[in-house]
Amino acid sequence: MTKPQIDPILWNDWHPVAARCTLDPLRVHHTVLLGVALRVAIDDAGTITVGREDGAGLLHEERYGLIWVCPGTPARPVPAIAEADEPDRPAILVGSVGVRAAGPRVIENFLDLGHLGYVHAGYLGDDPHTRVLPYAVDPLPDGGIIATGCKMYQPQASPAATEGFDVDYIYKVERPLTVCLYKSNPMYRDRFDIIYLFVQPVSEEASIAHPLLLCLPDGTTPQALRAFQQIIFMQDKPILENQMPKRLPLGDGIELPIAADKSSVAYRRWLAAIGLTYGVIPPPAKGARAA
Amino acid sequence: MSGIDAGVWYAIAADHDLPHGHIYRTMLGGHDLAVWRARDGTVQVWDNRCPHRGVRLSLGEVVGDELRCQYHAWRFARTGACSYIPAQPDRKVPGTIRVGVWPVAEAGGLVWTGRDPVGNPPVLPPGAVVRALAIKRPAEVLAAAVAMLPGLALTIQPLDAGAAIVRGIATDGDLVRADLALVALRRRLEHAA
Repeated sequence: MTKPQIDPILWNDWHPVAARCTLDPLRVHHTVLLGVALRVAIDDAGTITVGREDGAGLLHEERYGLIWVCPGTPARPVPAIAEADEPDRPAILVGSVGVRAAGPRVIENFLDLGHLGYVHAGYLGDDPHTRVLPYAVDPLPDGGIIATGCKMYQPQASPAATEGFDVDYIYKVERPLTVCLYKSNPMYRDRFDIIYLFVQPVSEEASIAHPLLLCLPDGTTPQALRAFQQIIFMQDKPILENQMPKRLPLGDGIELPIAADKSSVAYRRWLAAIGLTYGVIPPPAKGARAA
Repeated sequence: MSGIDAGVWYAIAADHDLPHGHIYRTMLGGHDLAVWRARDGTVQVWDNRCPHRGVRLSLGEVVGDELRCQYHAWRFARTGACSYIPAQPDRKVPGTIRVGVWPVAEAGGLVWTGRDPVGNPPVLPPGAVVRALAIKRPAEVLAAAVAMLPGLALTIQPLDAGAAIVRGIATDGDLVRADLALVALRRRLEHAA
């Protein structure tokens, strides 16, 4: 029943595989995690069971409305989000989006500032406000990276925005396939809207994105928040599915970053440093010379 | 991946595949290609991959004599060199940022390219350009089969190890007859496989 470990970092971590609100007692939910076919079932009492299609049961947990599975031996708990406990911040699931792209490509796209004025023109950016101003990227103490001081002019930063304004962003990548964004909200000076993106690695070249909103109350309905974010994700999907190679290259020179890509460079370097192999093209071994 | 021979011209598009503003996507010997026509009418055959993040350039947009990538709107001139990066509009674009550009020739209503092709592309007899047809058989098999079709001067574009596109000329200008002949050939070859 044991499967050879694909990538110990991902195999021994937790990944979302379904949202409770989409499960139906009359229909088993079938999905795939790291190449392993899974079935997620809910009974009339609301009890959820998760198992492999080959019959073996699997431990699961439920957080933020998502069902989490660790196929191996958990090296750490499901990601903890302190702000999710704030009473005025409902957790809203946007809906899961299948993307035929490697998980790390999806994370890198979420971190990317330079595409906002084009792929999300009219919403998260606009020509000619396309300049990416300098920002800082630093390592996080427990692994991962943080990008601070990001600023973008946004014509429609959220459904509640009535005019364009300069939006402050902070991005955090705490695990290889978890990224979050702290974004200034026009109605609050000292608190941020938070958007998490958890990526379920289906295979090395396919993913399911599970975005989670932890937004401050500003009069926007959950339906409007969901609809807005679904538009944004659908704008990214065709870009992601047309990136070649499908897996994220970690070596230098295969793709050519510029200064605005500082967070992408730091993300790739961090994945290379921890030795992630799934969904990436690892850099050449140290000492090996390029052919 | 089926190789292509160095020194040889391959037809990879027809003139009518390239209306202004369109980027035509095709493959040659496993290479993904973006084919487009600049404002001055010249045809460009490029690697279908932005050097920045690997997005297919065929998703992009023709802007005058330049091609613009859909992801970050980097612009590339006809030499393949990047000419403009909107994220840093005031900085000089490094000369190392360029798209791979393939040799091009236009002849007989077709667009030709190849790896270091020698001389001029093959001269096809006059006639009408037939509808290109992809067939799931290796290029070598197709080359032998099409030589026997009457009234057709055909050429093979290898896509990958198992498939190729047949292109060429109907010498009597009868495109309906030519198309029926090619469809019949496809049925015969793919069923025999």
